Amino acid sequence: MDAFTHDAPAVSMRDIVEAIQPLDGHVVPIKSIQEVNPPEGYDDAYVAEVDIKSASRVIKALDAAFPRDSSLPLNHLRRFCKRDKLPESVKQFVDEAYPQKSSMAPSIFILLGISLPDLEAVRTLLEPFIPVPRARSSSPQEPQETSTPSSPEQSPELTLFRTKIPIYPPASAKVADMWSASLWPVTFNPAASRSTVAPNPQTLNRDQKSIEPRAGYYVSLAREVALEAKQSGRGRGVGAVIVDPRIEAQIDEKAWEEGYNSRERWPQAVVAVAGDCRFARSEAGGPSQMDRHPGIAPNPACETYNSDHEGGPDLHALMRAVELVARSRREDPENEVDLAAMACQPIVHTDPQLSKPNQLSAFERYFLYEAGSHVIDDDSTSYRPSPATSCQVSPRKRKFAQPNPEAAPITLDTLTEVELPPSTTTTPPLPAPPASDPASLPPAPQEPIEESGGRLPTSRIRSRAEGGYLCTSLDVYLSHEPCICCCMGLLLSRFRAVIYPRAGRLKSGGLASGPVETQNAVLANGDVDADASQLREDREYYGLHWRKELNWRALGFEFVEDVVDENFPPEQIAFHA
Amino acid sequence: MEQEVNSPVIREDSRHGYFMKQALAMGEKALATGETPVGCVLVYNDKIVGSGMNDTNRSMNGTRHAEFLAIAEMLQTYPKSAIKETDLYVTVEPCIMCTAALRQYGIRSVFVGTHNERFGGVGGVLTVHSDKSIDPPYPVYVGLYRKEAITLLRQFYIQENEKGKIIDEVKRGEEKNKTRLTLIPAPNPRPKKNRALNTTFDFEDDDQDFMPIV
Repeated sequence: MDAFTHDAPAVSMRDIVEAIQPLDGHVVPIKSIQEVNPPEGYDDAYVAEVDIKSASRVIKALDAAFPRDSSLPLNHLRRFCKRDKLPESVKQFVDEAYPQKSSMAPSIFILLGISLPDLEAVRTLLEPFIPVPRARSSSPQEPQETSTPSSPEQSPELTLFRTKIPIYPPASAKVADMWSASLWPVTFNPAASRSTVAPNPQTLNRDQKSIEPRAGYYVSLAREVALEAKQSGRGRGVGAVIVDPRIEAQIDEKAWEEGYNSRERWPQAVVAVAGDCRFARSEAGGPSQMDRHPGIAPNPACETYNSDHEGGPDLHALMRAVELVARSRREDPENEVDLAAMACQPIVHTDPQLSKPNQLSAFERYFLYEAGSHVIDDDSTSYRPSPATSCQVSPRKRKFAQPNPEAAPITLDTLTEVELPPSTTTTPPLPAPPASDPASLPPAPQEPIEESGGRLPTSRIRSRAEGGYLCTSLDVYLSHEPCICCCMGLLLSRFRAVIYPRAGRLKSGGLASGPVETQNAVLANGDVDADASQLREDREYYGLHWRKELNWRALGFEFVEDVVDENFPPEQIAFHA
Repeated sequence: MEQEVNSPVIREDSRHGYFMKQALAMGEKALATGETPVGCVLVYNDKIVGSGMNDTNRSMNGTRHAEFLAIAEMLQTYPKSAIKETDLYVTVEPCIMCTAALRQYGIRSVFVGTHNERFGGVGGVLTVHSDKSIDPPYPVYVGLYRKEAITLLRQFYIQENEKGKIIDEVKRGEEKNKTRLTLIPAPNPRPKKNRALNTTFDFEDDDQDFMPIV
């Protein structure tokens, strides 16, 4: 507990934060599961030769008679193919069937969709469009592959050729070329065809560019937060950093306008950080794992994995960071009256830390309540507000200068029973708001503000009134690959992107979509390099950031360090981050 | 995904039915407060030791699902290790987040009202309860009071339509009454077609037996 006293630190948090060195490295998009293991499927389809001049009429007639299956649009397949562009397998039979090319009216080959309903109907439909054979031998031998059951003496002859077609769009241009040469001409559309299977490439590229320059710093910060959590004995060494890309953009813009290095302002885009505190949860009113091992040192429970000591995923770094954002909004006085009226079940602070702001770690408190003093304001050109500005601070902003005094009584011990009448007023379901009358605010902040006059305590978390909603359009940087629970938690929170260092992969994680080696060993045809696949780790790969099955999706990136930091080696034991 | 296996058939008139009724009552509460109507109870030694309902709107935290609230309540009185002898009754299939959380918490078994094909973690989308993991798997039984669970959800979507209208009026009318905006489930809720409560079900009427998954 001593780590979280309110004594003035010898070195200001701001100095500590600004001294954190960015990691050298780059970010790599985490592929979606479908990109790593593209769905494969082939079916038989039929090809017929029609008069080139009637091509559009053929399409109309076919689509009217045999509506396309919307669940299998097959948009990647070309409808028509000229004779000389036919894939070898088809061309071979065409050449056998119609040897005298020059004698034919100009023709083109059309692909008839899979699962043909009735060959006779097709025959009748296409008959008017069959190219007129000028000097064709009367009854060419039907190729072996043809599925036409009828006798060959019909005239004019409609010959159906069979070919194999891929029913899913190609995963890359190379695959498209390969299929075009061997099966049937296909097109590769990098955007539209994969919109649910993988992020839009333009969006991915744009957001990766905005993340890349500062990712090394924010991942480094996440590790510092992780270290703090571990060293305090509160949790495992896992940290989360929530960044607002809009503030990042403002920082960049200002730096460009004013011609300075934006590096020292990078911390300003951090809206909240949180460390793991799984050992700080008291159960059944008894002591927590942390209480059992007092002192500022890593908790012995770190050294093994015993699920009884793990506290629960709602004490994981990501879940706590999400909760800090929510809490900031709940503390907004404009929201609270109505929230109390809505109360049916008291908000259960499953995380005892969260109900006591004074137990936030130094990093957590700094970013949630203090660091906002240098937020770049659209209207202001100087990033340090003048003293006059700080006098105009709203009650809400002033409130953030100290821990919410009325929040402290809400602990797990005092939580009320579920069966409360809806209009309970004796036990506020939320950390109670300070009175809106500024005069009733405690006169002096309990925490020192490091630099008087230079600090304007304010939150950079947009309130609901300002349009803030969950973690929409925010990025989260983590020290480790998050567990499945936290992965879905970040999707439910609508983050824009999630970034973690590759060295922080965990077998219990939910973001990686394949082994590191294999990600680069996927061959052009979508197959996995056999040698690389042997390196497959003993784990599931979910790629939860981007699953076509789910309603919400985020961009996922791994930060690949140029040099592995020996202070943060891969974890030796498996646990949930 | 679901398959009938040789296991004891669990009927609605059993103790399991009683506990699911309590979970449904929590869902009703959620409905009454404008939350997605999902409710659950935790049962340890035949006693309800925790109950929860969705609380995402009020808490402004999208991860505040019923299961987390129920576990938090239970841990006020019981140690975490007791969850290993605890069963969960939940009206709607736990989402992937909650499925994973329940596994980390070591839940003994989970009884589900109806599937969730958008977020479900025990068969709806993924099978996180039984996939390879560092924690033991748990069994899941789906279908107890399925109709009631579905009806609750349908009631919610009808309510959503009406609520959308109210909020639109508030937005257009008086801006000072911002507090009512907190009722909005999302900044721009998609307009939904007004429709009456659907009371038909597309599954067989006698499909009341449990269908264990895995």
